[in-house]
Amino acid sequence: MSSRNPSYTNPKPCKHLEDYKLRHGLSGYKSIQKHLKATPHGRTSVEMLNAGVPRCNSCNGFQGRLYLCLICNSVSCLDHTLLHTQSEDGHDLAVDIERAELYCCVCCDQVYDPDFDKVVMSKHNMGVPRDDKHGDESIGERLVKRRRLGLGVAEELVDLKKSKQLVSMRDRRDKSCYPLGLRGLNNLGSTCFMNSVLQALLHAPPFRNYFLSEGHNHEACQRRSGDRLYSFFSTDSGDCQCIAHRVFSGLLRSDVTCMTCGSTSTTYDPCVDISVDLDTSNFSPTDIVNKRSKPNENSSISTLLGCLDLFTRQEKLGSEQKLFCETCQEMRDSVKQMSIRRLPLVLCLHIKRFEHSPVRKMSRKIDRYLQFPFSLDMTPYLSSSIVRNRFGNRIFSVEGDESDIITDFEIFAVVTHSGTLESGHYVTYLRLRNRWYKCDDAWITEVDEEIVRASQCYMMFYVQKMLYQKADEDLSSLPLSPRRDAYLPIAGCCERLFK
Amino acid sequence: MRPSVNRPPTPDVHENQEKEPTLQETINIKLIESGEKERLMELLRERLVECGWKDEMKAICRAFIKKKGRNNVTVDDLVHVITPKGRASVPDSIKAELLQRIRKFLVSAAL
Repeated sequence: MSSRNPSYTNPKPCKHLEDYKLRHGLSGYKSIQKHLKATPHGRTSVEMLNAGVPRCNSCNGFQGRLYLCLICNSVSCLDHTLLHTQSEDGHDLAVDIERAELYCCVCCDQVYDPDFDKVVMSKHNMGVPRDDKHGDESIGERLVKRRRLGLGVAEELVDLKKSKQLVSMRDRRDKSCYPLGLRGLNNLGSTCFMNSVLQALLHAPPFRNYFLSEGHNHEACQRRSGDRLYSFFSTDSGDCQCIAHRVFSGLLRSDVTCMTCGSTSTTYDPCVDISVDLDTSNFSPTDIVNKRSKPNENSSISTLLGCLDLFTRQEKLGSEQKLFCETCQEMRDSVKQMSIRRLPLVLCLHIKRFEHSPVRKMSRKIDRYLQFPFSLDMTPYLSSSIVRNRFGNRIFSVEGDESDIITDFEIFAVVTHSGTLESGHYVTYLRLRNRWYKCDDAWITEVDEEIVRASQCYMMFYVQKMLYQKADEDLSSLPLSPRRDAYLPIAGCCERLFK
Repeated sequence: MRPSVNRPPTPDVHENQEKEPTLQETINIKLIESGEKERLMELLRERLVECGWKDEMKAICRAFIKKKGRNNVTVDDLVHVITPKGRASVPDSIKAELLQRIRKFLVSAAL
């Protein structure tokens, strides 16, 4: 598989950087190290204590970007870096004083060196694990174990040899030209919420395959009476290896950074779904650039990616939420940031459309339309991406940087809600063999893709792309209803149903 | 940091040192020494992210890179492309807020 995380590939050094490294090694970097200053916001700068305000050697300018030569420590502004390297042979490499970034004066471009970034990152207080519940086992060890189990399960569940034998049995009641197994569910009295979720769960490829392939031994199943399916999800997902958790369980990472000293403490929490707030910002960037004072309702649409950006954004905790910083030994203003440490096989995203205000004792539903993609790449929301971006694009390894992490997902179910908080209705759209089917309690109808895109989504179910493609292949190889001779248009199909 | 023997000549610096530092330079020095400049920079960054200015600049950079090709663009190019646009599109409210902060600082520093 090709490299999945482009942000972590080592760029090839320019020949000037190569020459510099051959001649000077790490000595230049090491001499800078004591002058590097790290801010709690993840930025690093060079502080030259003796010179006061740094100024360009050629023009005495002090504004804009200034560069410090790694060999002779002279300072040049952007206009004069070339001059310096022309007058001094071999003085090609410099450091941006404000940003602590490497710059090649000959290429006139930023260059990257993991050795340099290592020196820079040494100034940042990277991580203090909170919540040492597991005692002697380190976070790293626990995470490696979980990952190994996760990948093994995916392969096991996709083996459909057994399921084919079960499903190809003739079902004489089946009149429709729809895929075998697609069935409506009767509404037992305001149970559309349950029907909707059941449809999504039953069509989650790994979940469905497990039950169809006799992976689930219903004779020996411990969850016989009482809760059954629900009980899968109600147990603590911490160490549970039941099918529900193996398919839906992911791991969220939460970083809390002290705004005074910059030290970060990290916790990991398992999750079976991710609830995101609707991105309700009314201003689009073009409004600002074009100096529009009122928000243009037409130019800004909320998108799922916007919600995920919001979810992983650094959130300033209010002054009433100060946390105790171990390093400062005081209550400090902090910033929190969420990211996804491990993605599940099936990703369930929940949009928080029901807003409860404890102050006003009112609840309301947010009807705002949310645009969502059918194909989703979760790379930018992984912990490795989020943490790396926090420090301004440095080359260093972050937990979870393995290049074979699967981040491509395909949607297979959308649960929509229409109506109000008090009286509303849930409907699920299922994607089978690239056709969409509306599951409205007992009624199944094929619908156009555009209907789904325009619907008001409430929960979206995405499955890892390769599992989706495999499931698609398997569905195609299954026989359709034996009563059908040729493909019939939908209208004709429905007529047959009602005859 | 050890001064290098190969320090380049600085011909104009001696003449400039005769002149009085400009008002702008003096204010800049005061801002840096007191640490206020860093606070102002953080505030500015926060505001520019909030209003979407940063996203807009990112989009302009991406469009430029797409047009020129990823391997034909340097940091210098990007800086030259977005500096005029960036300066022109900073919302007035942000400029006003920062000016107010600087004024307040100068008043307190002069006393």
